[in-house]
This record gives sequence, C-alpha cells and structure tokens, in this order.
Amino acid sequence: MPDGGGLLGPSGPLAARSPVWPLLLGLAALAAATAGPWPGLILALAAGFVLWWASRRSAGALRRAREESCELSEQLIQSQKMAALGELAAGIAHEINNPLGIITQEAELLGLALEPVEAAQRDGSPLAAAFLAELRDGIGEIMRQVNRCSDITHKMLNFARKVAPVCQPSDVNRLVEDMVALVEREATKQDTRIVRMYGELPRVTTDPPLLRQVVLNLLNNAMQALERGGMIFVTTRAAEDGQIAIEVRDTGPGIPAAHLDKIFNPFFTTKAPGMGTGLGLAISQRIVVGLGGTLTAQSLPDAGAAFVIRLPATCGGEGERRHGAADQGTGH
Amino acid sequence: MSEIKVLVVDDESDFVELFIKRFTRRGFSVLGAGGGAEALTLLKGVAVDVVVLDVKMPGMDGLETLKEIKKRHPTVQVILLTGHGSVKSGIEGMSYGAYDYVLKPFSLDDLVERIQSAYHRRALVGGGSGA
Ligand SMILES: Nc1ncnc2c1ncn2[C@@H]1O[C@H](COP(=O)(O)OP(=O)(O)O)[C@@H](O)[C@H]1O
Ligand SMILES: [Mg+2]
Repeated sequence: MPDGGGLLGPSGPLAARSPVWPLLLGLAALAAATAGPWPGLILALAAGFVLWWASRRSAGALRRAREESCELSEQLIQSQKMAALGELAAGIAHEINNPLGIITQEAELLGLALEPVEAAQRDGSPLAAAFLAELRDGIGEIMRQVNRCSDITHKMLNFARKVAPVCQPSDVNRLVEDMVALVEREATKQDTRIVRMYGELPRVTTDPPLLRQVVLNLLNNAMQALERGGMIFVTTRAAEDGQIAIEVRDTGPGIPAAHLDKIFNPFFTTKAPGMGTGLGLAISQRIVVGLGGTLTAQSLPDAGAAFVIRLPATCGGEGERRHGAADQGTGH
Repeated sequence: MSEIKVLVVDDESDFVELFIKRFTRRGFSVLGAGGGAEALTLLKGVAVDVVVLDVKMPGMDGLETLKEIKKRHPTVQVILLTGHGSVKSGIEGMSYGAYDYVLKPFSLDDLVERIQSAYHRRALVGGGSGA
C-alpha cells in the first residue's frame, strides 16, 4: 500500500488499535478452552472466515472510496485548469479584438476613399477600373479574414465564460427534437439520415439555451464526421435517480483511441483550418458539468462515435453560479 | 402578473402586422420593428421582455442585432425565427445568447409557449418589464 489508508494502515479498519482483534482472538481462545478441540477449531475457523470476509469487504469499500475521491480531485483539477485556460483565452481574445476592430474600420475607410477613383472609372478610365477591381477584391478578402478571426475570438470568449445556469422546468425531448429538426435539412443534403429514439423522460429542470447549444454541437460534429453520408442515432432515456441521458451516435469513422482523452481539450481539432477550432466539445463539456451532469465520448473501431450527455433531475452548477445578470452571450 | 411585452422584428411588414394582431389577441403586449437598427432604438425607450427576431434581414441581420441586444440588455430574451435555418447560424445564435431558435412556419400555440418560457427565464435572471 502506498499510503496510510490501507487495510492495515494507521487508519484502516484492522489497524492495531481496532477492537476487532482482541474480540476475535478472545473468542477463539475461549472456544478452545471451554469446548474441547473440535468445536474450538470450528469456532476459530469461523472467526478466521469472518476476519477474511470483513477484510475483503473493507478493502472493496476502500478501493471504491479511493477511486471516487480520485475522480473527484481529477475533475477539480481539470476544472481549475480549464478556468486558468479560460482566463488566458479571454485575455488573448480581448487583445486581438481591439486590432480587429481597427482593421475593420480602416478597410471600410479605404472603401470610402475609393470614391474619386470610381468617378474616374465612370469617366471611362480603364486604369481606374482595373485598379478598383483589384482593391475591392483585396478589401473583401481582408473583411473575410477579419470575420474568421473574430469568429475564433468569439468562441474563445464563449469558452472562457463562466457557466451560470438558469434552471427552468424543461421538456428535453422537445428541446432535442428542435435541434434535430434544425440539422435535418442539411443532413438530408449530405445523405445522412437521423434516427430518433426518444424515450419517456421525467420532467427535469435545466438551462434550455445552454443545453440546446450542447446538443447542436454534438449533432454538428456527427454531421461533419459523416461527410460521405451515414446515420445519426439520437436517443433519449430516463436513467437512475431521476437522471436523464441524451445520446448522439453516428456511423462515421469514429475517434482513434489515442484521441479519446484529448477531444475535450480546448483547441484540439483534427479538422482543416477554418473547419474546426477545437472548442465545440470543450465548451459543451463545461456547460454540461455546469449543469451538474457529465459529457462522455465512446468510440469503437469502425463503429462510429457516441457522445452521452447525462443530466441530473435538477440542474446545479457547483460554484459556477454568478449573481445578477447571469444571462449574456459572449459576443463582446 | 403583468402583461408580457414582446417586440417582433422582421423586414416583412406584413408578417410584423399579422404577428402583432395574433399575439395581441393572445394577451401579449406587442410592438413591431422593421429592422435591427429600429429595434435597438425602440429598446432604448421601451421595456421589453422578449424579442422575436428574424435571422435574415437586409442591413443589420438577425445575428448582428442579437449581439447588440445582448450587449446592451443582457436580461432581455431573444427568440430567433428563421425560414431557412442553417446549422451554422443556429450554433452562432445560441452561442451569442439566444434563448431559442424557431423554424418558420411555426404554430401559434407553440410560439406562445416559447415566449412564456423565455419570459420565465427573464424573471429568473432578474429582469422583467413589470418589476
Ligand atoms: N462524431 C465524431 N466523430 C469523429 N470524431 C469526432 C466526433 N466529434 C468530435 N470528434 C473529434 O473531436 C475533435 C474536437 O471536436 P470539437 O471540440 O467539436 O472541435 P472541432 O469540431 O472544431 O474540431 C474533432 O476535431 C474530431 O477529431
Ligand atoms: Mg465541433
């Protein structure tokens, strides 16, 4: 045992201080003295068995307790890491947003400054026409790239934002169906069929717009994994203790085992630049944890990927609640 | 309970008029605006609980308007309404803090319910025109 929490360690149930030892030894000795060798042996064996059984039981309980506390501290460390990363991301995003604003304004001013050249073009100058076309093109490209940057900074800020759920009684099946309906048209266009398997759900309180964001993210990932078509299975079901589970499974290429523990990291992406920023799952997991639930991924070789959202009956973000206006987007 | 105050924003004036008529009959107090800029001006002077916002509008589009509304009035709830919903605009809309994303055509009862839940949230986050 590496630490003091073991079976025989200072705090274990069979530690020297424990009253179990004298009790069992005394019992065996008493039996041997009073009842002759055979019943004494039997009693001693019985005592030994009880001892063995008790130690197995407590070992199991201890292992479970240790595993649980491990998981808990892991989650804690993870959420602290995420919070630190979030602050960094927000800092960078803000710094980048300012120059982006200036670039946008300058590009717009350039467009305005072209008016005299436009006049020259109207007067028939071929030089002006060529010059204009080139410049407009350039300005257009600048704007497109600026938009791309601000899309990224927006996502960074969204990731950095504290999840402050506002909980309302919600019909989760309907919420999921709304998002499925939104995705379905584009799914059909890429030969992807969505199969709905909605179970009867207890009414839960959760944050509807945050949950919509998560479900939509998962559906979007599934769609992107199925570029060449396939199926998406969307399942909802009641789980133990009034919890509910939402699963989005696809028949795409799946996730390599080596990636499974990385996909929830911010900025982890296997997609081409411009196609993915690697923030979707990081944001989604933060949201679900903020709602008091879990978001997990599974992937079997060649059997696609499955993501499961588990939510408690009543949403509760631990320590992530903020006072007052908890309800803004992060577009700034 | 005081009346729920709704602002509907759409560049199609026929739609806005019909909306006002139908939702007033349902007991809401409804204002209309023909575009994003007009909506923002209106919001400066009038307390509104829920904005029903068309995504596709000329000039300042729905997402731009949403961003501005959430920046200036974070507790006002926005329901995005769209004829041709795209996954991309849905993701963007939700991440900018939209309460809901509804595809046209919608059923009256359905939208009534959604406006009521949006209003409920508005009360929970400490806003509310009646307060
Ligand atoms: N349904 C899926 N099938 C296969 N891989 C997936 C799936 N969902 C997510 N992934 C993997 O996880 C990565 C991170 O996903 P995400 O955080 O949403 O960022 P992005 O989609 O921008 O890459 C993806 O780049 C992809 O490698
Ligand atoms: Mg993604």
